[in-house]
Amino acid sequence: MVFSSIPFLFRFLPVFMILYFVAPRRMRNIILFLGSLIFYAWGEPVYVLLMLFSTFSDYLHGCLIGACKNRNVARGLLISSIVINLGILGFFKYSDFLIGTVNQLLGCNIPLLNLPLPIGISFYTFQTMSYTIDCYRGEVKIQKNILDFGVYVVMFPQLIAGPIVKYRDVQEQLHERKTDIADINYGCRRFIVGLAKKVLLANNLGLLWTEISGAGPETTTVLGAWLGVLAFAFQIYFDFSGYSDMAIGLGAILGFHFPENFNYPYMAASITDFWRRWHISLSSWFKEYVYVPLGGNRRGLPRQLLNILIVWMLTGIWHGAGWNFLLWGLWFALWLILEKLVLLRIFKALPRMVGRLYTWLIVLVSWVLFAVESGSGAFAYLRIMFGQTAAGLYNDGTLFILLEYGVLLIIAAVAATPLVHRVTERMYRAAQGGMMAVRRVLEKLLLSLLLLASIAYVVEASYNPFLYFRF
Amino acid sequence: MKLDNEKLHAGMTVALLGLILLVLALADLVKEDRLFSETENRILAQKPEWSVESALSGEFEEAYESYVTDQFVSRDTWVMLKTRMDILFQKKLIGGVYLGDEGYLIEQHLPEDYDQKLVDQRLDQLETFIERYPEAKVMLVPTADNILTDKLPAFAVFYDQKQLLAQVKERIGEQRVIDVFPILTEHREEQIYYKTDHHWTTLGAYYGYLAWTEAVGYWPRSFDPQDLETVSDSFLGTLHSRINLPMEGDKIQIFPRTTSRRVEILYDYEKEADSFYEPSYLETKNQYGYFLDDNHGIVEITTGYSAGGKELFLIKDSYANTIIPLLAPHYEKIYVLDLRYYNGSLFTLMEQYVTHNKVSVLVLYNCIHFLEDFAYR
Repeated sequence: MVFSSIPFLFRFLPVFMILYFVAPRRMRNIILFLGSLIFYAWGEPVYVLLMLFSTFSDYLHGCLIGACKNRNVARGLLISSIVINLGILGFFKYSDFLIGTVNQLLGCNIPLLNLPLPIGISFYTFQTMSYTIDCYRGEVKIQKNILDFGVYVVMFPQLIAGPIVKYRDVQEQLHERKTDIADINYGCRRFIVGLAKKVLLANNLGLLWTEISGAGPETTTVLGAWLGVLAFAFQIYFDFSGYSDMAIGLGAILGFHFPENFNYPYMAASITDFWRRWHISLSSWFKEYVYVPLGGNRRGLPRQLLNILIVWMLTGIWHGAGWNFLLWGLWFALWLILEKLVLLRIFKALPRMVGRLYTWLIVLVSWVLFAVESGSGAFAYLRIMFGQTAAGLYNDGTLFILLEYGVLLIIAAVAATPLVHRVTERMYRAAQGGMMAVRRVLEKLLLSLLLLASIAYVVEASYNPFLYFRF
Repeated sequence: MKLDNEKLHAGMTVALLGLILLVLALADLVKEDRLFSETENRILAQKPEWSVESALSGEFEEAYESYVTDQFVSRDTWVMLKTRMDILFQKKLIGGVYLGDEGYLIEQHLPEDYDQKLVDQRLDQLETFIERYPEAKVMLVPTADNILTDKLPAFAVFYDQKQLLAQVKERIGEQRVIDVFPILTEHREEQIYYKTDHHWTTLGAYYGYLAWTEAVGYWPRSFDPQDLETVSDSFLGTLHSRINLPMEGDKIQIFPRTTSRRVEILYDYEKEADSFYEPSYLETKNQYGYFLDDNHGIVEITTGYSAGGKELFLIKDSYANTIIPLLAPHYEKIYVLDLRYYNGSLFTLMEQYVTHNKVSVLVLYNCIHFLEDFAYR
């Protein structure tokens, strides 16, 4: 089920919330568990079994690792858990990619499996791996209660598109959590803001990207190509961060505190900075469970650069089984390495704006690699961006589109900065006396309006994909 | 105390938002399903049948989602709210319709949708037709986007029908083409197109008629735009259906002289009428159907005029329905063929009607319908 849909907002959510809050506390986990299974099964009626298998397998591995005194046996159990997780992920996500590559290299003709990708598999396998690894490291208490562990894996707010919650972030809350009205209020706010980001900004800017990428390369102008990739940059950001907001918000309503996933990535002044702000839960997962174990920066510069390369190849391929995603990861690895070697020192001496522009340029190019899935298509698109097109710099069509989407682009640009957040924060802090009343009325009014406007766009949804579903 | 106050307001916010969702959810449960949406002019999704296979394949879930979305409580209001917000975002193109100046809705036709291959295909057929009937005339009327260019939003793109016309002239000879571009352009400040519909108005058709008389060398009958009589002022046409905002209705007008004679009309060999106009359509959404009973494959008209035995065979689209009453005084009989509703061989049919040299042949389409529909066997 998708958050921004009528079945979720007006069937699942009200029924679930009423049951959850009416039920006695000890019943809440079972309600959350079963509710989440229904939520998942709505979109993936068969693969729900795969998810349950994965959950049970890691629960069992956790218990065994906890009971095991011998370090070597524990290590074997950990490896078994990782092999099963990566095996499932590899089989369902990468087998066709591998078969295709082998076919191409050896000229043979092994048939593709054409398996549909189980929704959220990249997210929940990473979550459960964080648990068994931390069990082995002794950083978490072994979860003996299979229901509590099941809730961790399948709970619907973060199930299908993150944030990737590490087990230790929520281990206490799984068993015992308080929900007070301030949390619920905060959760509602986050949810509505996320919903609005998704359906008002991401979906509408997605139309702009579809329009431009859908036209042939012969008719795309330079300005049009830049507008298109700019729109995609905003689309993927508001799509994904909107989803994270909704997940964090729903989590807060239920009493969970999920980690933040975004911190104004488009304000970053370097690629290093960008990846500290973009999909934080994924990059910190790779940092903790791949980069640091590989030695991180403790084994000399060449080894560190190699580690960066490995991590970003994996990050790329995590996003999808395709060469373009690998290329996308390598593109970032290249700039991260260059930054480590020289660029960061140079940028330090320059105004922050220079770093920001550079980051925007690198990131926009990366989105072309990401969004245009065929390599040749991506390069053709990049050539247009950098002036090689018969259609010229711009034409009436480009200017029309610019005016058509100008207001949305401006709103999106402002919404990608901390400005709105700062203004509301200041209002909250400064609100005293009469201002307090104004703030309270304004908050209710704005949230209701955002909710109603979002519903209108959900009802009349000719275009409503979730980009991060594919991963 | 202050803290409690804060909590109270947090609670009120939560209650308000929860109530919005809950009230809508409950209202949605009790409302009745509709089969058809008048405003969107389409059939709405209905409750899907449940079965184990359809649920396991995900087919049921998908159908159910379209169902609840299509049937959502007061859907029309939500759709209108969305359109209003799009306009607030300064969108000038909604559902393939430009929001033009002075309240004109103008249908968008993109150049890339009418490629040279399509044009050549139509021109080949037209050329074959002209080889068979060399005396035929061809009138291709431009659509609003090509004439009301000053009313289009800034930088709006449109398919250039002037160059299409140039190609037609080159292919079949200029003397066979009745060019209405100049006269329509000259009168673009008058209401020659509907504001809410893709057709030209009776006034627009009148200027088309003037261009026609000049081209064929007839003396125009004295139709005076001053005399135009309004039969409806509540016409909300096809373009309005795609925008769905409250708008003032268009006027449907006729020249009173066109009702002065008793005509005999036979639609599709079965339905008879004695007027060019069918008032029952004014009570429906499709008020343009008032002209010549909407669309028919073959219409035979006995005009009641004596014109020295002259007759007309007309191959046409819906644009012609407003001009036919004006052509009537020049012919004793008019045979009207709409190729969209006729599957037989065109030339075989025409042999039955074009039996002597007093039968003229006219092809009349708007440029877009010509490209989309002018195809025969």
